[in-house]
Amino acid sequence: MEEKIQSIRNRAVSACRNVTNIQELQEVRVEFLGKKGELTALLRGMGQLSAKERPKVGQLVNELRNELEEVFRLREGVISQSAQAVKLAAETIDISLPGRKSAPGTYHPLTLALQEIKSVFISMGYQVVEGPEIETDYYNFEALNVPPDHPARDMQDTFYLSEQLLLRSQTSPVQIRTMEQQPAPVRIIAPGRVYRSDADVTHSPMFHQVEGLLVDRGITFADLKGTLQLFAEKMFGEGTQTRFRPSYFPFTEPSAEVDVSCIICRGSGCRVCSQTGWLEILGSGMVDPRVLTKVGYDPDQVSGFAFGMGIDRIAMLKYGISDIRLLFENDLRFLQQF
Amino acid sequence: MKVSYRWLQDYIDIPWSAQELANRLTMAGLEVESVERIAPDLSQVYVGEVLEVTPHPNAALNVCQICIGDKTLTIVCGAPNVRVGIKVPVAVEGATLPNNMQIGVANLRGVTSYGMACSEAELGLGDDDGGLMELSDETKAGQTLSAALGLDDLVLDVSIYANRPDCMSMLGIAREVAALLGQTIRYPELTLTELTKPTNELTSITVEDGTKCPRYSARVIENIHITASPLWMQQKLRAAGMRPINNVVDITNFVMLETGQPLHAFDYGKLAENRIVVRLARENEQFVTLDGVKRNLVSEMLMICDANQPVCIAGVMGGENSEVSNETQTILLEAASFAAINVRRTSRKLGIFSEAATRFEKGMDPEGTVYALNRAAWLLAKYAGGDIAAGVIDIRNGQAGTKRVQLRPTKVNQLLGTTIGEQEMKDILNSLELVVDNQVSPWQITIPSFRQDIELECDLIEEIARHWGFAKVPVTLPSGANAQGGQSRMQSLMDELRRSLVGGGLSEAINYTFVNPKGVTQIGLGDQEPYNLMIPLQNPLTEDHAVMRTTLLPSLLDSAQRNLSRQQDRINFFEVGSVYLPESLPLKEQPQEELCLGLLLFGARKQRHFSTQVEYYDFYDIKGYVETVLAHFSADFVHETGEFLPLHPGRQGQVRVGEQVVAHYGELHPDVQKAYKIPDRTYVAEIDLHALLAYPKKLPLFQQLPRFPAVERDIALILDQTVPVADVVDTLRDKGGVLLMKIGVFDVYAGKQVPEGKKSVAFSFVFQANQTLTDEEVAQQLELMYKGVQEKFNADIR
Repeated sequence: MEEKIQSIRNRAVSACRNVTNIQELQEVRVEFLGKKGELTALLRGMGQLSAKERPKVGQLVNELRNELEEVFRLREGVISQSAQAVKLAAETIDISLPGRKSAPGTYHPLTLALQEIKSVFISMGYQVVEGPEIETDYYNFEALNVPPDHPARDMQDTFYLSEQLLLRSQTSPVQIRTMEQQPAPVRIIAPGRVYRSDADVTHSPMFHQVEGLLVDRGITFADLKGTLQLFAEKMFGEGTQTRFRPSYFPFTEPSAEVDVSCIICRGSGCRVCSQTGWLEILGSGMVDPRVLTKVGYDPDQVSGFAFGMGIDRIAMLKYGISDIRLLFENDLRFLQQF
Repeated sequence: MKVSYRWLQDYIDIPWSAQELANRLTMAGLEVESVERIAPDLSQVYVGEVLEVTPHPNAALNVCQICIGDKTLTIVCGAPNVRVGIKVPVAVEGATLPNNMQIGVANLRGVTSYGMACSEAELGLGDDDGGLMELSDETKAGQTLSAALGLDDLVLDVSIYANRPDCMSMLGIAREVAALLGQTIRYPELTLTELTKPTNELTSITVEDGTKCPRYSARVIENIHITASPLWMQQKLRAAGMRPINNVVDITNFVMLETGQPLHAFDYGKLAENRIVVRLARENEQFVTLDGVKRNLVSEMLMICDANQPVCIAGVMGGENSEVSNETQTILLEAASFAAINVRRTSRKLGIFSEAATRFEKGMDPEGTVYALNRAAWLLAKYAGGDIAAGVIDIRNGQAGTKRVQLRPTKVNQLLGTTIGEQEMKDILNSLELVVDNQVSPWQITIPSFRQDIELECDLIEEIARHWGFAKVPVTLPSGANAQGGQSRMQSLMDELRRSLVGGGLSEAINYTFVNPKGVTQIGLGDQEPYNLMIPLQNPLTEDHAVMRTTLLPSLLDSAQRNLSRQQDRINFFEVGSVYLPESLPLKEQPQEELCLGLLLFGARKQRHFSTQVEYYDFYDIKGYVETVLAHFSADFVHETGEFLPLHPGRQGQVRVGEQVVAHYGELHPDVQKAYKIPDRTYVAEIDLHALLAYPKKLPLFQQLPRFPAVERDIALILDQTVPVADVVDTLRDKGGVLLMKIGVFDVYAGKQVPEGKKSVAFSFVFQANQTLTDEEVAQQLELMYKGVQEKFNADIR
């Protein structure tokens, strides 16, 4: 009897080993463990055994059933795994083909530069203020201490629309309009389009400026230096140096041209900075008391500083754009780089 | 202003190299743009004296013997002006000229030539290529040309700000250098010997307009011999970028460069009645200036005249009729002060930007006339053999006052945020020749007449700051108010709009706001207000930038065209920018500047991908973008068929709020498409953001989420082709009552199985209520909806 059991075991294990798919496995399983299978038949034949033999054989048969169940289970696992592997292999695709992108559009580089500038100054407590592009001669010049026929008007060749109306040559009129409307303290930046009659690789007849103005009690030239130094670091990275050079603007006194250490070569000298290590990017100064008086502020009570920069120039430096005209041609091959 | 490093040292000893000087001046507010050698490298070029000239045996050339000091060279020369006795530059074997010509020994048609005699142009010293450059008698054969002509000098190109006309002179620059060094300058020699004959017996000066000519000073100098000016003067003029002419002209130029005061020399003999009248021009009077150009004068121009006619445009340019010539024996020398504004207007109107005009228009020191006159007289006596008549005729309008400005030392440090000592302040001011009286409080500072720019305390503070050093000012941050930064709701909204369009796949464009007026006509709006009310620029750069735009479309179309011509086949961008809408033209007051949004779509809807068919933009894309934009606002937007001329009449929509149209969108009219040479259908939109800003988006209010299941139903309706689906949707929504939560259109079809003139439109509905809906309840509601559209649109269920 025991031999018979052993034989069943051997044949079952061998048959199991030979099957290659789930279906065959199932057939083998039925052959041995099914209702009509050999093992079941063996159990059925137990009645003929002696009472003494029966429990022993019963135990052996049950052990064998358990063993075979385990063998089939393991085999099933192996077979289905390899079947999956075959299936997966058949499903392989070429992952080198390009992905399907949602392809967002792009901001204009001037918008990107302005957003950055705005966020720096907003974090320093400045309000963003705007004003008209078509301005009166008064706001663009006279209120800024540039009377008619003043030679400083040569610094900015202006587009005129009528005797008294012009395309603003600077965003400074916004400073005047703001101060006329509110008492000190004033802490604003004024971004916007400006116009000057000038066109070449670095000059566009329409370009963009941001000006800043801070008027309060006890504001000093040292505060101006600190503010612009902080701006330069936030805008161009830590370690950026600033250099203040005396200059002339009709509406500030003293006036300073502000250079930052070249953002390309970090000051060692390159083509962009003409080997000087410095880039001139800001005009600034202490608001001229004549300007303060004109808007009804008392220059003995308050003082302030103002500064201005070209967004176009900053964007060009930041992104290495060599020709200002690219900014206004809207070539998509250009726009889509930002 | 070109400043010769060597010339500057006539007035002040400079311990710095030219480069170091340039840095110091720049940091003191006189920006040096470049430091350059005044001439190219001319080693191996010598002064040669022509000893002998014989005709070349085989050619129309000359064979010359030219002495270059210890050697005499045979040189073949073709220049017409070669002659015995002149001194010329000679480039010898081994020299390389600025035009890269290599000089060697050459056989020229049978004669060996050992070098080349050069013209100005060949040496890069000027434009004259008509013959040999003739050198002054003062040069010595064998000297290097550089040494002989002082070409080894360096020139600083200093940019002078509009408020510092005093620095448009060597003395002015020298004063700044002296202040940097804490020294004082050496003024040039000036001891005049005059004749006994008084000037006012030789001439008279009448000034008719004392406002435009506050001062007129003159001298008469007799027995002038016109020759070349001394070599040292020629060198200085060259360094300053001026061309030597003759001793009289050179001296007037030299003194102008030295003192800043423009001078003018008249040929005394050519002045009718030998006298001067300063008066306004007569309207349409004509006048020929020194450069031979006939000028039309207008009555506001100030003229220097003789007894009969104009002889000079005051402060701008002299006339041919009184020009100094080789025959001139007596000159009348003018040093005057003219009103800056008048000179400026005159020079602009005539387009003459002379050295004199650029100085006068910035406001010259009225006290500088006599000094400059005397300096020139002294030089004329010395270098032109002149005899100086006794005395200066000096006509002035009003008396010179002494200008004093107050200064509070505490205010200096308050404004700068510094701790500059009082003695330091005083030293700086004194070194600039600003005379300080610190025995009074506030200090009294006497301002020299040449510093016209200093009027207020802040001007003095600037002088102290720039000479003390901006670099030494500490770096602090403003204290005081805890200011709250930020931007307006509108500005944030613009940022959000940009974000959503960029997120939607569009690129942001920026166009010039001034455009070609043709564009509006090209898009079909040439006769339509407000589009045709374009504000013209008075001085546009080009016709393409001649008027302010009234719509964004033409420039967007131009940009699209530009991209197409550069082989781009997929164009999708937007622009946020103003249009400029005047009440009427000509422009009387500031116009409305209205913010608009323009959109343009052309070509494939998506980047091509191998997995999908190419789909092209159509009407519903542009409409979708318009709807995206409108979603940033809250109003009852009505979409309806539009009649906007730039668009296809059957494929355009407009959006209305109340009576106001706030957007046009659709397919570009084929005529416009053709006008812009765009090869295929293009979709555009223009949205009036300015108007939309009146309808800011409301805060979203939370709705409870439904707790009971929704029931979904689809139906297809057969409708007349002409029925707008949106109207059907409105009716369905209306009849759907409170149970209908959502309605959508998921198919529109015409063709097989749909009768001619009809279309099948499939709708999907979602019903929901505060309870579980039964099939019957939904069916009842659907029946109502169906009846509604059946009555109104004659719709059939498919």
